[in-house]
Amino acid sequence: MRRKKFAQTLLLDVLIALVVFSCVFPFLWTVLTSFKTRVQTTDPSVWIFRPTMENYRAIFQKRDLLLYIKNSIIVVVFSTMASLFLGTLTAYGLARYRFHRKEDIAYWIISLRMLPAMAVIIPFFLLGRFLGLLDTHLLLIIVYLSFNIPFTIWMMRGFIEEVPKELEEAAWVDGCSRFQALRWIVFPLISPGLAATAIFCVIQSWNEFVFAFFLTSFNARTVPTTVTFFLSVLGVIWGEMAAVGVVATLPVLLFALLVQKYLVRGLTFGAIKS
Amino acid sequence: MKKERSLYIFLLPSLLVLVGVVIFPTIFLWYVSFTNYDLAMGWEKRDFVGIRNFLFLLFEDKDFWHSLKISLFFMIFVVTIEFWLGLLVALLFHRRIRGKRLWMSFLIIPMVITPSIISLIWKLMLNTEYGVLNYFMNLLGFPKINWLGYENALWSVMLVDIWEYMPFMALILYAGLQSLPQEPYEAVLVDGASPLQAFRYLTLPLLRPVILIAILLRAIDALKIFDIVYGLTQGGPGNATELMSLHIYRLGFRHTNWIGRASANAILLLFVITALTTILLRTMRRSLTGEGA
Repeated sequence: MRRKKFAQTLLLDVLIALVVFSCVFPFLWTVLTSFKTRVQTTDPSVWIFRPTMENYRAIFQKRDLLLYIKNSIIVVVFSTMASLFLGTLTAYGLARYRFHRKEDIAYWIISLRMLPAMAVIIPFFLLGRFLGLLDTHLLLIIVYLSFNIPFTIWMMRGFIEEVPKELEEAAWVDGCSRFQALRWIVFPLISPGLAATAIFCVIQSWNEFVFAFFLTSFNARTVPTTVTFFLSVLGVIWGEMAAVGVVATLPVLLFALLVQKYLVRGLTFGAIKS
Repeated sequence: MKKERSLYIFLLPSLLVLVGVVIFPTIFLWYVSFTNYDLAMGWEKRDFVGIRNFLFLLFEDKDFWHSLKISLFFMIFVVTIEFWLGLLVALLFHRRIRGKRLWMSFLIIPMVITPSIISLIWKLMLNTEYGVLNYFMNLLGFPKINWLGYENALWSVMLVDIWEYMPFMALILYAGLQSLPQEPYEAVLVDGASPLQAFRYLTLPLLRPVILIAILLRAIDALKIFDIVYGLTQGGPGNATELMSLHIYRLGFRHTNWIGRASANAILLLFVITALTTILLRTMRRSLTGEGA
C-alpha cells in the first residue's frame, strides 16, 4: 500500500518534471545557442563547449541593439506611465461612484482590449502617414495606450474596491477633498496593485510586435522587430539571434517573477482573483 | 448618493483617449474598406467602391476562405489541446509538492517571453537538418520530420502556440481549483463517490465560470495571432499557415498594396472577434456578479 502510494507520487513528480522541462527548454536552448560559434549552432549534438562572447559583441557593435533597447524603453515607460495615470483615475470613478449604465461602460472599456492589432493597424498606419508620425516614439506610445488603458482600468478598479470605503469617508469628515483622500489614503494602499499593474503593462508593451513592426522603420524600432534581421533565407546567424533573444527576454522574465502573485489576476483582467 | 461633478474628472480623460485611439481609427477603417485605396497611389486618387471589396473577398478570393477556415481550425484545435493539457497540469500541481512555487514559476516562461523572438528560436529548433527536435527524435529512433514543410507547417505553428499558452490555462485552472470550497468534497466522499466521480460531477461544474473565461480569452487571442506565425513561417510555405491576420498582411502590405481590400478583411476579422468578445463579456459579467464582486 505504502509502496504503491510512493510509486504514484513518483510518477506524478516525473510528469511535473517533464512539464517544467518542456516549458524551460526553448529558453535554455536560446542561452546555449547564444554562446556557440557559428559552426556549433548548426550542430545540436554539441552540449559542452567553450562559450564564446562573439555573438553578444556582434549584436551590440554591428547590429545596434542598444538603439532598439533605448527605443523600447522610451515607448514602454511613457505608455505605461500615461496609462497608469489615466487608467487609475477612471478606475477610481468606476469603483467609488454610482451612476447610470456604469457596468456597460466598464465592459465596453474591456472589450477594447480584445481588438485585434491586425485590424486596426491599417488606420493607424494611414493616420500616422498623414500626420507624419510614422517611425516616431510618440505614435507607438499613443497606440499602446489602446491596450494599456483598458487593462489598467480593470486591474486598478479591483484593487481600489478592496480598500474599505470607510477609510476614505473618515478622511472626508476630517475635511479632505475627494482628491486629497485619494492621494493620501487610497494611493498608499493600492500602490502594490499599481506596481503589479505597471509591470504587466511593461511586459505587454515590451513584447508587442504588430504595431511596432508596421509603424516603425528605423528610428523608433523596438526590440521585438529585430526578428526581421534574421528572416533571410540564406545563412541566418543563429548565434546572434539567440543573443538578441537572451538580452530581450531576460528583463521580461525577471519582471514576471515579481508579479507571480498577481499573475492569474493580470491574465484575466482581474476577473479571477487567486 | 448625490450626483457629483468630480466623476467626470475621473472618467473623461481616459474615455476621450480611448475614443481617439480606438473608436476613431475603427471608423476610419470602415471608411477605407469602402474605397479602392492602394498604397502605391496617392490618397486623393482613391474612389468609393461600395461593398465591392467585401464581394471580392467573399466570392473571388479563395485565399480568404482558406485563411478563415484554417484560422477557425487553428483556434479550435489549440484551445482544445491547451485546455485539456492545462487541466492535467493544474491537477498535477493541485497537491502537496515541495518547492511548488518555484516549479510553477517555470511555467510562466513560455507565456511572458517575447513571442516574435521565441518563434525564431523555435524555427531553429524545428530545422529539419540541424534542429534540436529532430536530434532528439533521432536519439529515440524516429525518422527526421520536415517540421516547417507544406504538410506540417500549420501543425508546427500550433505546437508552438500550445507550448506558449498551455501554461496560461494551467495557471488559471490551478487558481480555480485552489479556490474551490472543501465541504462539498467531504460530503460526497462520505457518500461513497469515487475521486473520478467527484471530479466529473463536482469539480468541473464548480469550475465552469473559470473554465469558460479561460477558454474564451484564449480563443480570442488564438484568432488574432500574428507574431508567432510571422517569425516561424510568414504564412508559408505557399499559404499553408496563412491565418487571417497573415492574409490581411499579404493583401495590404506584402505582395499587393490593396489597402481597401485588406481593410474589408480586417472588418470581417473584427466581426468574428466581436462575436467571441460578446460571449466572453457576458460570461465574465455573470460570474463576477454571481460572486458579488
